[in-house]
Amino acid sequence: MLSGAFRERLFEAWIEIRENLGRSSLQAIGVILGVASVLGGFSISDSQRRRADERWMKLGGMDRLMVQQATAVKDGTPTALQNANLGLRNEDALEGGGLDTKSLDGVSQQKRVRARVRSAYADQDRGVTGIDGDYLPLNGYGVEKGRAFSAEELSEGRAVALLGAEAAATFFPTGDPVGQSIRVGDVPVTVVGIFGEKIFRWRDNQGNQFAWRNRVICLPASLVARRMNGDKWQRVDTVSFRIRDLSVMEKFSEGLGSLLRGNHRQQEDFRMDDIAKRVRKRQSQGDVYNIIFMLSGILSLIGGGMVNVNIQMATLKDRVREVGVKMAIGASGREIFKGFMTEALLVTGLGSAVGLLGGVLFSKFITSFLEIPLFMKPASFAWAFFLATAFGFVFALYPAWKASRLSPMEALRYE
Amino acid sequence: MQNIIETRGLEKTFGSNGTAVHALRGIDLTVARGEFVALVGPSGSGKSTLMAIIGCLDSPTGGTYALDGVSVEGLSGTALARTRNEKIGFVFQSYNLLPKASIVRNVELPLLYAGLGRKERRRRALELLEQVGIPEKANVLPAVLSGGQKQRVAIARALANTPALLLADEPTGALDSQTGEEVLGLFKELHRQGNTVVLVTHDPHIAALAERKVELRDGLVVTPEQQAA
Repeated sequence: MLSGAFRERLFEAWIEIRENLGRSSLQAIGVILGVASVLGGFSISDSQRRRADERWMKLGGMDRLMVQQATAVKDGTPTALQNANLGLRNEDALEGGGLDTKSLDGVSQQKRVRARVRSAYADQDRGVTGIDGDYLPLNGYGVEKGRAFSAEELSEGRAVALLGAEAAATFFPTGDPVGQSIRVGDVPVTVVGIFGEKIFRWRDNQGNQFAWRNRVICLPASLVARRMNGDKWQRVDTVSFRIRDLSVMEKFSEGLGSLLRGNHRQQEDFRMDDIAKRVRKRQSQGDVYNIIFMLSGILSLIGGGMVNVNIQMATLKDRVREVGVKMAIGASGREIFKGFMTEALLVTGLGSAVGLLGGVLFSKFITSFLEIPLFMKPASFAWAFFLATAFGFVFALYPAWKASRLSPMEALRYE
Repeated sequence: MQNIIETRGLEKTFGSNGTAVHALRGIDLTVARGEFVALVGPSGSGKSTLMAIIGCLDSPTGGTYALDGVSVEGLSGTALARTRNEKIGFVFQSYNLLPKASIVRNVELPLLYAGLGRKERRRRALELLEQVGIPEKANVLPAVLSGGQKQRVAIARALANTPALLLADEPTGALDSQTGEEVLGLFKELHRQGNTVVLVTHDPHIAALAERKVELRDGLVVTPEQQAA
């Protein structure tokens, strides 16, 4: 509950603001601009980040560690050891999967090949992906029509296929592709399912960034290895691991690194890509933008604060007598100080409210211009308000202190 | 009878060394409880300076001053503010009402500083406005009142905390003679009720209404012998 004295001060401050609307508005402008700038900046940067996160989620989540082939030989002739190395293999995926079964939520391998793909309607040269393990959930694919591969089909390398939406439309422009047959290279395979269409646009007017994901043709990896692009070492192109608990990721990736180096005769012929780490790095880059926005907000709050001090000092001249009267009837210097502070903080509070509204409108305008959805965090509102209040408080101190130090006698005689 | 005001050798000097102005040069003044004293003297005699010191608005540079039995030298700013709030009621020539606050809020202000609750403040303020004869003006702003009404509000405000001393500085200086008479009548009535009143004036007619007249000249109290001379 507000104490009586505080309520009175608040009421008096409100009257003062209301009676001097022009002056109070001028005082509030700096606060409004500062708050709008902090909130707007934070929100635009948050919206952009949120959009990027959405993209990662649609790609199958950020909690993945991907291992890909890389060349160990940068310059010169490969050594015998490098030549003898086998590259990323199926056993890497299997042994990696056994590293930490408790935290691991999925493992998948990919083996890619380019092949001539034919149906009754089309004949194209396409990239084909041999998949295994938990490829579909790890990469955010969902089967819209038909079914996914069974464990048996995957392990035995049966002649079955899953098509992306675009691939399905290209090879089967009419009728239901499920149950139909296509030829991949020389191998006839039966389409068992169609993926749902994947769409992602940074901005509404941009093209679909996930168009390539609709072009996929997936076969069991063992089929690809056995009939199209296999070798006796069971090499694969990509291995992915999903770790739900991101705190374990770092440890897992270290363990996996040493395991793979062991398997690869201490050759760094693989590249590990910790997506969460990449996202964290990007987030810390985003923090830099936030700091820049905060600084620009702080600068306008400082500018506004200085204007405020000047206005308050000029106003104090008009109010010296009022201060004298209050002191004569018993107001202490502290009471006068509190009165001036309350007024300055009320101006700051009202200015902040308008600034927050301005920040929302500003963010809405910018995000609609960028054509990304607006995302605002309560913390951004809290930061903007906190900064404005802190600066409002600091800049109000001097005029309030000056007023509180007036001599009652001189203040009463002031003309 | 206990003295409300007791000064001994009160001095006040403005400036220093070569430019020093000695406004008070050693004032011995005693005002007993319930007295009505008029402080008179020409311009520059030190009346206003003495009033400021008696009212704890300013501090003397020499001598001693006890208000209601309590020595005020060396009191902190906050303690002086509390003393002004509890023991002194000021009435100024130019009323000094807060223009943006309603009449009742003006009267409530000393009660607020004294820490009274809202309801109690309002009750007391309305009672005081009733006492000075303008209860119907409680919710208007000072600007709409006549000079006499404003001075009544100022008197009500001065009486808010039932002070030990009512200090009035030329309270009728800005009023026409008839309104001035009415306001003086109010002071007489307050005195009759037992209030101690010190009234600063340069008007001998007003001073004649007081029980006792203290005349100041060149920063000193003029003795009866000097007056006779």
